[in-house]
Amino acid sequence: MKRIVVTGMGCISALGPDRAEFTRRLLNGESGIGPITFFDTGDSLVKVAAEVKDYDGSRLFPEKQLTQLDRFAQFALVSAREAVADAGLEFKSPLSGRTAVVHGTGVGGQGTQEAGYHRMFALNEKRIHPFTVPRLMPSAGASWISMEFGITGPAFATTSACASSGHAIGMALLILRSGMTDVAVTGGSEACVTMGTIKAWERLRVMAKDTCRPFCRTRGGMVIGEGAGTLILETLEHAQARGARIYAELIGFGMSADAHNLIQPLAEGAARAMRAALDDAGVSPDAVDYINAHGTATAQNDPTETAAIHAVFGSHAKRLAVSSTKSMHGHTLGASSALEAIAAIVALNNQTAPPTANFREPDPQCDLDYVPNTARPMHIEVALSNSFAFGGLNTALLFRRYAGV
Amino acid sequence: MSDEINNVILDVLAKHTEMDREKVSLDTRLNSVGVDSLMMVEIIFELEERFDISIPDPEFVGQNNKQFETVADVVRVVKELIEQQQKTS
Repeated sequence: MKRIVVTGMGCISALGPDRAEFTRRLLNGESGIGPITFFDTGDSLVKVAAEVKDYDGSRLFPEKQLTQLDRFAQFALVSAREAVADAGLEFKSPLSGRTAVVHGTGVGGQGTQEAGYHRMFALNEKRIHPFTVPRLMPSAGASWISMEFGITGPAFATTSACASSGHAIGMALLILRSGMTDVAVTGGSEACVTMGTIKAWERLRVMAKDTCRPFCRTRGGMVIGEGAGTLILETLEHAQARGARIYAELIGFGMSADAHNLIQPLAEGAARAMRAALDDAGVSPDAVDYINAHGTATAQNDPTETAAIHAVFGSHAKRLAVSSTKSMHGHTLGASSALEAIAAIVALNNQTAPPTANFREPDPQCDLDYVPNTARPMHIEVALSNSFAFGGLNTALLFRRYAGV
Repeated sequence: MSDEINNVILDVLAKHTEMDREKVSLDTRLNSVGVDSLMMVEIIFELEERFDISIPDPEFVGQNNKQFETVADVVRVVKELIEQQQKTS
């Protein structure tokens, strides 16, 4: 089977405009969560989010292009530009046709939808902007990436709520393994800190009032974030042939469905995704050192995920470092698996487990080592990144440190 | 009023084609200044908003490109629609 490696990474998030800031703040345990500034939260219960601050699309895109770009597609492009430049790739023929784009999103152009609805239903305007449809379609991010770089191979979006970019990265892996392409630009994007989205989430009663405290006894729920992450995946032979810098090897991918409930998670489903990733890689559970958990900080997720980790790892579970970086970059829905995959690779490359920030006191139901508040230097050979979406759609990505063999 | 309508339409066209305002006139052929079907929907949208009119689609899609060949065609249709609206209001 072809070996698949990561040769480029880019991201934009509440932690900063690029991967360098993301990495620095992640390892410092700094949270990007703060009061919502994008709209007046008024009497909302939810007043915090992980917003991408000081972002001005007009500095990055010409005006004519900007009229066709929802914020989520802008983020997709920003992260893809960084990743492609990082990988040092140029997509000339024949590589342009031997490259795939698989980019996920949970909701797509939410800001565009809401602006259109606001004009129609609140302002009673007769018409909405003619580019509403191309802006809001969830596949717009993938399309823009293909257009920007002239990539003409397989290109599509994946959507599975909070596992959207986990499925994207997984599909990219399978495309590369199949020999269909040599390179894939993959990840996910979300720009969901909008009044409609926050109001909708609010009524599910899963949202934190103050901040995101995963696995903590006094956790209050999740905090929505926005951003995008892009990884360049490549067959090892292609990467070696062009002398590319290799960040990590993507050794396993697992996915599963709970077949249980649209909202409530199921430990068995989560466990099956993790086992599938381990089986795919052909490694035993005790080979894993670090888990970047789904860790949403909801009442339901954290004990369920903990139970699933116990079920898969047995006595090794207690030796694992498990952290939820959502405590810092928020829950970015369709971008979360991509950002967290990058966080897992940051852990491998820095030999440091990023912390679970905002942690106050242990929860008896969550009895693993969650690396509270301070990053931990440690030996990390293999790192797992979990995503468990609403609707019980689960992914697990397994990365191994690349030691040049 | 008439000159005002001309000027607004020429302004909108110049903005979308990123041309100097002096270089567009009523005789300008739209396809000669890079107005494609996508740009045309933006221009139509902006004119509808500015004049509070509703510019109908061509009856046959195949005639789409022939609906507006020159700026003068656009001006004529916009003025007709404004007149109709004034009669009915």
